Amino acid sequence: MDLTLNDEQEALRTATADWCRDNMALEDARWRAPGLWAELEAMGWTGMTAPGMDLDHATEAVVFCELGRSIAPIGLLSTAAANRWFADGFAGKVALALPADEPGDMRVLDPGGSAAVLMWQADKLCLFVTPDDAPHAPTIDLSTDQCRRSWTVSVQSDNTAAPLHLQLLAAAYAVGCADAARDMAADYAKLRQQFDRPIGWFQALKHICSDMAVRAAVARSQLYYAACALDAGHADAAFHISAAKRLADQAALDNGRANIQVHGGIGMTDEAAPHLCLKRAHLLQFIAPADAALLLKDPV
Amino acid sequence: MDIGFSPEEMRFRDECRDWLQSNVPLEKRPIDAADAIGFDKAWQRRLFDAGWAGINWPTAYGGRGLSIVQQVIWLEEYAKAHAPWIGANFVGVNHGGPTLILNASEAQKSYHLTRILQGEAIWCQGFSEPGAGSDLASIKTRGRIEGDELVVNGSKIWTSFAHVADWQELVLRTEEGSQRHAGLSWAICDMHAPGITIRPIRKMSGQTEFAEVFYDDVRIPLSNVVGGLGNGWKVAMSTLSFERGTGFIAEQVRAGQEIAELIATARANGMIRDDGIADQLAQMRAEVAALRAMTYRNISEVVRTGQPGPEASVIRLFTAELGQRLERMAVLLMGEDMIDFAYGDDNAVQDYLRGFASTIAGGTAQIQRDIIGERLLGLPKSR
Repeated sequence: MDLTLNDEQEALRTATADWCRDNMALEDARWRAPGLWAELEAMGWTGMTAPGMDLDHATEAVVFCELGRSIAPIGLLSTAAANRWFADGFAGKVALALPADEPGDMRVLDPGGSAAVLMWQADKLCLFVTPDDAPHAPTIDLSTDQCRRSWTVSVQSDNTAAPLHLQLLAAAYAVGCADAARDMAADYAKLRQQFDRPIGWFQALKHICSDMAVRAAVARSQLYYAACALDAGHADAAFHISAAKRLADQAALDNGRANIQVHGGIGMTDEAAPHLCLKRAHLLQFIAPADAALLLKDPV
Repeated sequence: MDIGFSPEEMRFRDECRDWLQSNVPLEKRPIDAADAIGFDKAWQRRLFDAGWAGINWPTAYGGRGLSIVQQVIWLEEYAKAHAPWIGANFVGVNHGGPTLILNASEAQKSYHLTRILQGEAIWCQGFSEPGAGSDLASIKTRGRIEGDELVVNGSKIWTSFAHVADWQELVLRTEEGSQRHAGLSWAICDMHAPGITIRPIRKMSGQTEFAEVFYDDVRIPLSNVVGGLGNGWKVAMSTLSFERGTGFIAEQVRAGQEIAELIATARANGMIRDDGIADQLAQMRAEVAALRAMTYRNISEVVRTGQPGPEASVIRLFTAELGQRLERMAVLLMGEDMIDFAYGDDNAVQDYLRGFASTIAGGTAQIQRDIIGERLLGLPKSR
């Protein structure tokens, strides 16, 4: 039993954090450079756990937390899952569709430049090879576009681990998002002065930040446990990943709100960064959402 | 990262389970301290004789000298087997003993540690005072040095098990005119010494588990000072990080049983059809899982680096507040039966009333939030 990062994971985490800081800063999440996707692919994050890569989901979760902390593209989630669970893998980007009834419309997130679309459903992943030819519209998360398209036939992966994998990665994104909001709030609380002292001196503000730290720590712990359960093929992996996704989504949303409050006036402007975390959190809650019924079921 | 246990650890788990299965007492632990003391002592003795007391304590002092992971396994199995709370032995086993292991002289350790494990010596804590609660450093109880003795005057409060205790971990001011954290000492006080008066305090649940303790020229040999005169604050703090790290594992496992029981109850009485209640239960089930994950993470940090990680203070706060949410839910699920009440009951209402202690004792939830803000996030100190 060991839920700490080993040296290799720690090195990978630091390298990812450094790269994100230099090339994909959170503050720039309103608009991402067109060449970013090619760089992400070159870094190997779109296929870390693809067959033959010999990396486990725990390591992947650690890395995706860092990516999520920078509000990385949503398409990374679907591309990573597609490369893991569909035979030939994908040279290009795979957009992410929210679950929808068949036949009908599906909402596709981050379609720009994609070669295919992956739909998450609670019991399977469905893949559609389709060009990016529908008109794009914005979402609440400024870094993520969307389009709508109809769907009928697809390739499916019925491996029960496939939808869990994507849910785990989405939870990691949310943990990173919750971390980002926590750190932004704590940094601001050390810097901003009122009544001749940093506002973080006041317990009313300090305790808001402490609660952000609690939520982030709780969610990250469950994420690591869930990743290990998936790696080990435990029968209760689905339960633990659902728990992780629920806690991570909540942490991202609650920390997103709290961060704005700690920032005061500047926090509600478009110019400042806090709203970027909150808006990302709202999008993530619809991606591979946790199943409350599963959380109430008897343990397996 | 992995969540599995080694074959040796699995064998150890089996041993724990087997022994507990045939040895956990069938009768319930009496809830009032005065009635419970005989029960607590007998149970602790039985644990010691079978080799289950002090699993990760040094063998020289009656422990088994095993790993912290094995200690965790034991505590998990202990809770799963519904073994009784260790009650009056709590302070000695979970707090006084570990403090002595870290800070005491050879003579102090060899006299006290085995007695604690055997349930022969009951310990209580003497930290808080009427004027020193959250502001613990404002301690006023003083010990004047006279020859090779401290002469103690003052009072302590919220001392659990004071009236059944043999020894007390007493933090007092031994340097006249000293301020705050300086000039304090951590001493072993004989609770049977002349000059000690104990006034029991009744809790709102009806129990008289804790008390106020008064010292009127109580004499303590200087050889009972632990960690050296004037080092009391440092000694006291050395165990707090232990408390925040691994001191609450049994409670955490019990939380897992409680949420399962609450879900079963809500199903049986139909209240689970209320979406609000179902959602709260789902939330707490996720949180209980996360609490275990966080504890495992912290334990592996201890194994890796020798000390709990900075997030250990998060565990303490989260355990306490989650415990209270579980207790509130248990009362909610009782419906109107919760208003049936008698002091001395042993039910969910009593657990709920007793549970208020968990965000007050050993550092209030507000103090914990100060610690998290200051140590984990680096915010400026408010005090």
